[in-house]
Amino acid sequence: MSAVAKGGRRGGLGASRWTPWLYLAPALIVLAALLVYPIYQLGLISFLEYTQAQVSGGEPATFQGFANYTELFSDRQFWEVLVATLVFAAVCVLSTLVVGCGLAVLLTRIRAVSRLALMLAALGAWATQAITGSTVLVFLFDPDFGPVNKMLVWVGLSGFEDFSWTYDRYSAFALVLFEVVWCSFPLVMVTVYAGIKAIPGEVLEAASLDGASNWRVWRSVMAPMLRPILVVVTIQPIIWDFKVFTQIYVMTNGGGIAGQNLVLNVYAYQKAFASSQYSLGSAIGIVMLLILLAVTLIYLRLLRRQGEEL
Amino acid sequence: MLIAVVVAFPLYWMVLSAFKPASEVQSSNPRPWTLNPSLDAFRPVFDHQDFGRYFLNSLLVAGTVVVASALIAFLAATAVTRFKFKMRTTVLIMFLVAQMVPVEALTIPMFFLMRDLGDSVPGIGLNTLGSLILSHIAFSLPFAIWMLRGFVKAVPESLEEAAYLDGASRTRFLWQILFPLVLPGLIATSVFSFISTWNDFLFAKSFIISATENSMLPMALLVFFKDEGNDWGGIMAASTIMTIPVLVFFVLAQRRLVSGLGGVVKD
Amino acid sequence: MNVFARMAAPVAALVAAGLTATACAPSTSDNEAKKDDQSGTLCVWLFQEVDNDPKKKVVDQAVADFRGKHKDVDVDVTYIPINTRAEKIKAAFNDPESAPDLIEYGNTDTAGYVQDGGLADISEEFASWPQSKDTDATAKESLTVKGKTYGSPLFVGVRALYYRTDVFKDLGLKPPTTQEELVNTAEKIRAEPKDLYGLAVGGAYTYGAMPFLWSNGGELATEKDGTYRSTIDSAQSQAGIKAYTALFGDQNCPANKCAEMGGNNTVETFASGKAGMAIAGNFNHPAIEASKVKGKYAVVPLPGKKAGEIAPAFAGGNNIGLLKSSSHRTLGLALMQSLTSKKTQGALFDAMGFLPTYTDVRKEAAAREPFAEPFVKTLDVAKFVPASPGWAAIDAVLVLPTMFQQIVSGRKDVDAAANEARKKMDAAFTEAG
Repeated sequence: MSAVAKGGRRGGLGASRWTPWLYLAPALIVLAALLVYPIYQLGLISFLEYTQAQVSGGEPATFQGFANYTELFSDRQFWEVLVATLVFAAVCVLSTLVVGCGLAVLLTRIRAVSRLALMLAALGAWATQAITGSTVLVFLFDPDFGPVNKMLVWVGLSGFEDFSWTYDRYSAFALVLFEVVWCSFPLVMVTVYAGIKAIPGEVLEAASLDGASNWRVWRSVMAPMLRPILVVVTIQPIIWDFKVFTQIYVMTNGGGIAGQNLVLNVYAYQKAFASSQYSLGSAIGIVMLLILLAVTLIYLRLLRRQGEEL
Repeated sequence: MLIAVVVAFPLYWMVLSAFKPASEVQSSNPRPWTLNPSLDAFRPVFDHQDFGRYFLNSLLVAGTVVVASALIAFLAATAVTRFKFKMRTTVLIMFLVAQMVPVEALTIPMFFLMRDLGDSVPGIGLNTLGSLILSHIAFSLPFAIWMLRGFVKAVPESLEEAAYLDGASRTRFLWQILFPLVLPGLIATSVFSFISTWNDFLFAKSFIISATENSMLPMALLVFFKDEGNDWGGIMAASTIMTIPVLVFFVLAQRRLVSGLGGVVKD
Repeated sequence: MNVFARMAAPVAALVAAGLTATACAPSTSDNEAKKDDQSGTLCVWLFQEVDNDPKKKVVDQAVADFRGKHKDVDVDVTYIPINTRAEKIKAAFNDPESAPDLIEYGNTDTAGYVQDGGLADISEEFASWPQSKDTDATAKESLTVKGKTYGSPLFVGVRALYYRTDVFKDLGLKPPTTQEELVNTAEKIRAEPKDLYGLAVGGAYTYGAMPFLWSNGGELATEKDGTYRSTIDSAQSQAGIKAYTALFGDQNCPANKCAEMGGNNTVETFASGKAGMAIAGNFNHPAIEASKVKGKYAVVPLPGKKAGEIAPAFAGGNNIGLLKSSSHRTLGLALMQSLTSKKTQGALFDAMGFLPTYTDVRKEAAAREPFAEPFVKTLDVAKFVPASPGWAAIDAVLVLPTMFQQIVSGRKDVDAAANEARKKMDAAFTEAG
């Protein structure tokens, strides 16, 4: 669709090949100064011995080569945490997408009052601070004081009288997953819902007249049309969920029992920032950047193979 | 409807806890209602801090960030969608890169950047709202650009052709034709930058050191998290107060938001 | 393009200016004070309490006393949120221009701040103050690093045993006088059909566990020539760890709930009426007083191994320190003296319940307010954590909570967990130098 006039227009009205760069300039300048430059510094710091003592001038900064990286890679816990982070983030992203898209489709099918209620509830969840949301959820699921276990028992599920959600590694992760999905599905839901609303009604009608199942309508009609939206709402949760911090920190009391619920960002915080080991923290930051970059590139490569142009 | 209840329940609990008297907030028999609503928890929120001032600061910072990042993102999104040039993909991915680093790691170099900037340019150094505005613009731009791409793309090429045939200049097309068409999208995108700026305390606590008059709203929330026991009532009350403006804003913008976001798929 | 040009130009200018100002190497700060001004404004950062007014009144009085002697000096006191103190104080070390002259800081941070190069050595002046000889030994230890003094203590806090008088009365129990009795009492409370925890304990409650370690003769670490070596796996330490971890289980505090609890959670458990006993500080008193157990509890010192012994508890508290970058050393120290004087500390106790660091003032305080007595008694045997910046790292990486949780959840036995903790602690001490 956008094949028109890519070349021809350029010469026409005084636009040169510099025009896009001119438009990009403000963004690039801001980002170069406030993002690229700090990241460059971060890379630099990761090769130094750089703790609070060096920062405040108490001791000189010394070059360490790859020492910080060696320390990191030789720590067995780092690898365990890395694997946990990757799996947890993947589950979070998938759940967020499934819940968000599912509810978006549901939104198009229900009465106006219910729709408004769900919409407002979702927007409220979105507007809430992660730290508050996590705190409230811990309250709700508290084995002694929380109403959730009491409700589960009341519904007739046994074994929940004294069930502690945060004692077992997987139920603790599940609880955090719930919070992460709770506060990030609204973005997906609202965006995808808006997208569906904008799909011409006839298209959907035609599809359902053909007797296609809900799943098929989604798979072969909606999803392709929504792709530009889906790209954005996938990439962002990947980045956010890989870096999840507040939820784990608040809900599992800093990484769970004996560190069973640690993810990379919390690990970095405890290992490096809480005790001002900035160089080690920078090394972890760089490693995270590289991993996320790889994941994003693979994702975009896959998209391109399917014919989606960026 | 049931789903709405599940989704809204934590929110309801937050507001409820804010109104419960202290002895009921943590009791072994939690009730989903309270018979003695009290405003006790709200009092420390307003009493001990310059709450109104923080509120205005947050509003100012979030407002500036929203407008500035929307304009910058609009230009950038136009560049990456309506032009083909070398390194286009590289630029797009670069926009995302910064978000991939843990913010704790970035605040150290950013702290020094702000300190040194402040020495040469007044108004954006440490302790100023300017430093917060700049950092938040930088951090909300990538997402804004990615979102806006879709909207700009959705404006038919034929419209652009027609404009040029009518003799419109490139600048005229950009601001008088493309801009109004993308405006709903801009509003939708702004919601994201607004929320992330409104809720952030990481930059605020890193950059605002001695000038407490330039503190932000979320800092008022942090006061209630203490070493020797958190003040749950205060936390819930402050959160409630913080969430309400956003919610009101949402309700007002809801329709626009949906129609705005929908623009992406229109072809 | 006009709009764009107008917008871009200033931004570009800012950026260019910024880039020239920052060299390529990561920044450091120069923190040495260059002068010792005898006039101007003194800036002070104190922690903001949730109920801050009473504290402010006491501080205002201390400032007024100071200004009585130094009429042409202004004092600017800022109350900073406790939650963000770490960022703020580090930022102050990094940016001397935003830095105050005096700060209030938690005493476990002393060694770290000294290594950061943020606090000034005031050994000579402190020793010459007439009141400082009454400062108790533990408080002094909490601001001493490698023999030098880095501030003046403001108050101390210590934990003791809170128990429910109504529950004890119903069950015919008496406050325990030995550790063994404590365990038995806890189990009796738990055995009653009220579904209470006996003694609320937490796997992440390091300072609740310390008394058990210390009363069994264990130590966290020993110092030799300025470096610390962990002794967390010594026989005595392990006996203490065993005593503490034995409290987790269905007979007292079920592991699936208590393993993850920290200090705050155990106190909240007690305040909500779910526990018969808890280890909590004098600083927790206001919260417990505001809860539903108000009027139904009392406090005794945590019993030691033998009858009549008090288990040593961790002496927390805050100090006032002078920043290295301060350009008002003489005036700053004069104000510090006024802020931490016997008079101020006595008033601070009356206003906030913070325990004075002077032994004589503390005795008077306990006489005025019987509630303080068990805490004051405990302070006579209180102890402090290793004065090494390594302790901050050990604390941050949760070495001890991890150890307790490994044992409590059955992942490791006491010996193996303590051994692992010792290795981690030694690594942190070595790294900290």
